[in-house]
Amino acid sequence: MAHGETTGPIVQVRRRVRASAEEIFELWTKPDLMARWMSPFPGAVDCKASCDFRPGGTFSLVMSSGESSREVSGTYVQIDRPHKLVFTWMGPLTNHANTLVTLELNPRGDETDLVLTHERLPTPAMLEGHTKGWGHILDHLADAVSRT
Amino acid sequence: MIEIESRKKAASRTARLDAVFAALADPTRRAIVERLSRSEARVTEIAEPFDMSLNAVSKHIRVLEASGVIERHRQGRDHILSINTHSLDEIDGWILRMRGYWEERLDAMERLLGELKKDHKLRPKDRKHGSR
Repeated sequence: MAHGETTGPIVQVRRRVRASAEEIFELWTKPDLMARWMSPFPGAVDCKASCDFRPGGTFSLVMSSGESSREVSGTYVQIDRPHKLVFTWMGPLTNHANTLVTLELNPRGDETDLVLTHERLPTPAMLEGHTKGWGHILDHLADAVSRT
Repeated sequence: MIEIESRKKAASRTARLDAVFAALADPTRRAIVERLSRSEARVTEIAEPFDMSLNAVSKHIRVLEASGVIERHRQGRDHILSINTHSLDEIDGWILRMRGYWEERLDAMERLLGELKKDHKLRPKDRKHGSR
């Protein structure tokens, strides 16, 4: 799972949170709490979360409004309470492709440094190539696009 | 029905993205894309700097074309290749979309942390409940 070896593009978000790692970990792993912040449609939509919290266990987040519903689901890969949580993630936003989310929590006094890494999992076709990572090529491409 | 249609669309978009990632997973193909990002070029011009046969370079070019990363058009007898920036927008789009999602979700998470602290509902010492 070392990020240096991944072949897909990576999204990483970091922030310092005014809470303990344990408090944050709770929000990511208790269904009733997950349902209160993970849905991108707050308020207007009914959100139900469930999870079988163990490595290999699955979780799901179903957001429904009237007849339509959206589901995000995944499998826990690594649980190291309250420092690290790794799980797969699949839903409309990932175009229903499997992705990997890594949550890292590093205590800093009363606060916690949160690092969230979300990466596309390489497909077999991608693994056939030898990649050095995406930052480099995307930098070049972004330059190319902005120059045109 | 609408749901199925949007799922189909999403699936084909995924397949397209995967094709783009696969195409760009090779160093020679990345070099070709970088060359074309400077300007369009003939197949022979692209093959020149590579220490491989024109045929081998052509194979790489065909992979890039199939993935939609580059396009080919004819100018008289020449085949001119150019980059299709739209296909690369999709990669950037995925990254932007996911970053936006997580930034918003983490904002919501922090708001909830604030609410819970106010309500004294979150007691770390009670953590054994419901965690297994």
